[in-house]
Amino acid sequence: MRRRTTEDRVVDSINYALLSVIGFVTLYPFYYILILSFNSGTDAAQGGVYLWPRSFTLDNYIYFFRDSAWIQAALVSAARTIVGTVLTVLFTCMVAYGLSRPDLMFRRVYFLLVIVAMNFSGGLIAYYVVLRSIGLLNTFGVFVIPSMLNLFFLLIAISFFREIPADLGESARIDGAGEMTILLRIVLPVSMPLLATMALFNGAGQWNAWLDAAYFVQSEHLRTLSYRMIQIINQTVISADAGAAVYTANLKVTNFSVQVTAMVISIAPIIGVYPFLQKYLVKGMMLGSVKG
Amino acid sequence: MRFRKRFRKQMAFHLFVLLGVAFMLVFNYTPMFGILMAFKEYKITSGVSGIFTSEWAGLRYFREFVNDYNFPTLIRNTLALSVLKLVFSFPVPILLAIMLNEARLVWFKRFVQTVSYLPHFISWVVVTGVLFAFFSANTGLVNQLLVDLGLIDEPLPILTDPDYFWGLAVVSAVWKEAGWWAIIFLASIAGIDPSLYEAAEMDGAGRLQRIRHVTLPGIKGAVIVVLILSIGNILGGGLVGSNFEQSFLLGNALNSDKSQIVQTYAFNMGLAQGRFAFAAAIDLVQSVISVALILISNAVARKVSGAGLY
Repeated sequence: MRRRTTEDRVVDSINYALLSVIGFVTLYPFYYILILSFNSGTDAAQGGVYLWPRSFTLDNYIYFFRDSAWIQAALVSAARTIVGTVLTVLFTCMVAYGLSRPDLMFRRVYFLLVIVAMNFSGGLIAYYVVLRSIGLLNTFGVFVIPSMLNLFFLLIAISFFREIPADLGESARIDGAGEMTILLRIVLPVSMPLLATMALFNGAGQWNAWLDAAYFVQSEHLRTLSYRMIQIINQTVISADAGAAVYTANLKVTNFSVQVTAMVISIAPIIGVYPFLQKYLVKGMMLGSVKG
Repeated sequence: MRFRKRFRKQMAFHLFVLLGVAFMLVFNYTPMFGILMAFKEYKITSGVSGIFTSEWAGLRYFREFVNDYNFPTLIRNTLALSVLKLVFSFPVPILLAIMLNEARLVWFKRFVQTVSYLPHFISWVVVTGVLFAFFSANTGLVNQLLVDLGLIDEPLPILTDPDYFWGLAVVSAVWKEAGWWAIIFLASIAGIDPSLYEAAEMDGAGRLQRIRHVTLPGIKGAVIVVLILSIGNILGGGLVGSNFEQSFLLGNALNSDKSQIVQTYAFNMGLAQGRFAFAAAIDLVQSVISVALILISNAVARKVSGAGLY
């Protein structure tokens, strides 16, 4: 390595300074809403809370967890995440397993159907009409059924299954095992990196989804965390009294402090799985690059 | 005969695939036929079959859209957001990737990179809440800070004044997605042969010259592929997407003059007002332009570099 030149020093200092700013600008908003959620809402409304909670309290969380509407919303979000992810992973893998058979007849036709479906859509309005006529609107099913087949994961899964040695399932097949058994007992257990990648990305998507929760359901008991957050943000964005206290409970909370608390609760699971997301992101990209 | 025998042998595989095909017929292909709605006197009560059985309306709804008094505003907003996002959001991930690549301290580089794509996994709803926490006129941190420092007398109406909307949309989209797209460019930089850098250094190239003559040519392929993707999705917001989400979540009655776009208008006409045929016509106009853009940008890219997506 040669000596550091003046140019090196200048480039390095500017670069480190800029990257530090980028890191701060990205991370601080998360930190800020975290400290606000632990700060008394009425106190925060006076402004000036920048670095740590000034008036530490758990009131916001107590309020959140006492409110049955918020609890219900969090449960619906959790349920759609778990059920939706399991359904998507299993169904997508099943179809992919079928398509991964190299000598499959009509496979050109099947693949054409997949590619066309991937690249063209009929738009949101026509999609809504379909959901309505098959009776999915205003049911829990609308959260988990239309997303069961993920075409992007489908292609990744096909190329992953092709890499699995064909003779792995052969002895089971000779013993008379059906293809479903082979898929569940033999193929899926050796496909853990694939399953984890699909589950994590799909799970994050389900947890974050909001459009279907806002427009495809009306029943109060089907409202999700995302929906309730949209509601409370809309309530406070225009009104001048976002900092005004909520008087219903004997707690020092405001609409705004409840909102940031809900946001923290919504972000927490994502941060929790973030290390795994990262790990499988790399794996997922490598899986994606394996050409079928 | 052999044909049938072979098919029977792989029956289970076909069954799996056909379940998937059935799924696509319902959720992907039926909506494609739904495009017909745009040319029909469609009533939502007639269900899916009504798409085929209802009377033809010709181009009535397309004409209605073009003559809609909102039409110029919608087109202006859609184009402005799309172009602004393409111009500003496309170079940022490339710059970020180059900067990260130039950072020698491994822990520092890793830390900043890890942080930079965290927002990608956070929903637009939460990001909207974050923007509210920072920019709202009464409780927003930025306004509080600026007033406290005496830089402004009145809080800036960033979330409600139409004039702030485009800037807010572009900046927040870049904040959310730049780190994510930088991953692709970093991977591409990692694929550059290190001996090229050594050779450049031997020839007396400084840091910036090495970036200019080794790194940039080295990621040209990735840049073109990503550029095709973002031009193809330009009406959705390009690389960073999110035109619809932002118009929906950050748009409100006060800033609608700058925040309402074709997509949200179609959505409102259809789902909120029940004018499905009209909404489908608007949807179709947008889809046709998008598909045309994808094909054109791909053709151009293939000519320029010999590397196309399709």
